[in-house]
Amino acid sequence: MALCRQFSVGWARVVINALALMTLSGTSLALAAQAIGQSGSELATKADPGPAALPDAPMPAVLAGREREASTRETSDSSSVQDKQQPKPGEQSPPAPPGAPSLADLGLTPEQIRGDNKEQALLDKRTQMLKIHQRLGLITVIPVAAACISSAGAPPDRNNPGSTTSRDVHVALGGVAVGMYAATAIYAIRAPKVSNEPARGGIKLHKYLIYIHAPGMILTPILGAMAFNQANSGEKVHGIASAHSAVAWATAGSYVAAIVAVSWPIHLKHF
Amino acid sequence: MKRRSLLVFMLLTLPALSQADRTWTLDQSTLTYHMSHPLHEVDGVSHAAKGKGVCHSGECDFLLAVAVKTFNSGDTNRDLHMLQVTRGAQFPIVSVRLRLPESSLASPTLDCDLEVQFAGNTAHYSHVPFTQVIDGTAHHITGTVPSTLSDFKIEPPSFFTVPIKNEIPVRVDAVWHPS
Repeated sequence: MALCRQFSVGWARVVINALALMTLSGTSLALAAQAIGQSGSELATKADPGPAALPDAPMPAVLAGREREASTRETSDSSSVQDKQQPKPGEQSPPAPPGAPSLADLGLTPEQIRGDNKEQALLDKRTQMLKIHQRLGLITVIPVAAACISSAGAPPDRNNPGSTTSRDVHVALGGVAVGMYAATAIYAIRAPKVSNEPARGGIKLHKYLIYIHAPGMILTPILGAMAFNQANSGEKVHGIASAHSAVAWATAGSYVAAIVAVSWPIHLKHF
Repeated sequence: MKRRSLLVFMLLTLPALSQADRTWTLDQSTLTYHMSHPLHEVDGVSHAAKGKGVCHSGECDFLLAVAVKTFNSGDTNRDLHMLQVTRGAQFPIVSVRLRLPESSLASPTLDCDLEVQFAGNTAHYSHVPFTQVIDGTAHHITGTVPSTLSDFKIEPPSFFTVPIKNEIPVRVDAVWHPS
């Protein structure tokens, strides 16, 4: 009976910690997601004001002209290439005279030439969400590392069996790590998918590693709670709970590997 | 009478025929942009460029175009980010125009004035040197366009808060054929 009570008290602590963190991060996530949604739609609105309001649009090369090219040559001198880089943004080229090749002459269809503002807005939203995912992911390394370090003080102290401070600190840090991890994951999951191409490069390994650290992030606190209760009841941690540490280290390792994978290859020759 | 009119007809038409448009077609191409960051050196390659040249009255106008999304850096995530940063969905085509005197087309070096349209902006690059190797009818042209992000008002993306270099040179390797 006493064992059951201790078990439920331990669980209650973990669940309350986790719920509090999830609620806090969930609220901010919802607000942030709304903000992104709004900015995304703003982008879409801004990006689609009609042709008259798009002076920067590069008209199809049909419009790129010889006349401006000719005038550019007239004004050009024999200075170096670097000196002659004269971007002329926002200018619309005059129509090309008959006979000059156009994009249509290259076999490009109007669909290939025409821009898609909605797709651009989707790309912008994707980038914005993945940037947050990246930042949160990097910040999450801190509580993950802290939880790993504090795990040294989590097992029951034989000299002072009543003290659970170190264990509580470890539980709190683990809770923060799981909450931050959930927030990070949500931004990746909710980022719009803009391509059906199979992943290539470092992102492929980054995605494969999810299959290790995502279950690990769920299992670790469950096993931790079981170990916590066993230790609190004076028992030696046994059974599946004894895998808590191994699962936690595997999770942390695969999490860090996922960060490195998406940043790979790193060239340090400029340092 | 018939002979005389035939002679007159030939005299009138031959000069016109000698000035008939001569066209050039791009057969193969490799365009490679290079991006530098203190932690990364990346090359993005496209083989999907299309090109055409038209010569008339001693002047040749060339157009080369490539879809931004065809550049492959070996990482889909990076390519999609590049597409977003360069507004590749809004402005899907990069086009390069140049005009050369027809007489210079056999030269081993070409001094080109380029007009590049990319990411909703136009940049001009004068006196860009290209080398040319002629093998039969194939004209193999190589050179590098000294493009920068600021030329096209592209905000440099950053990694670990450090932005990439402004210089994004694009190496051009193209084989043209007259037709």
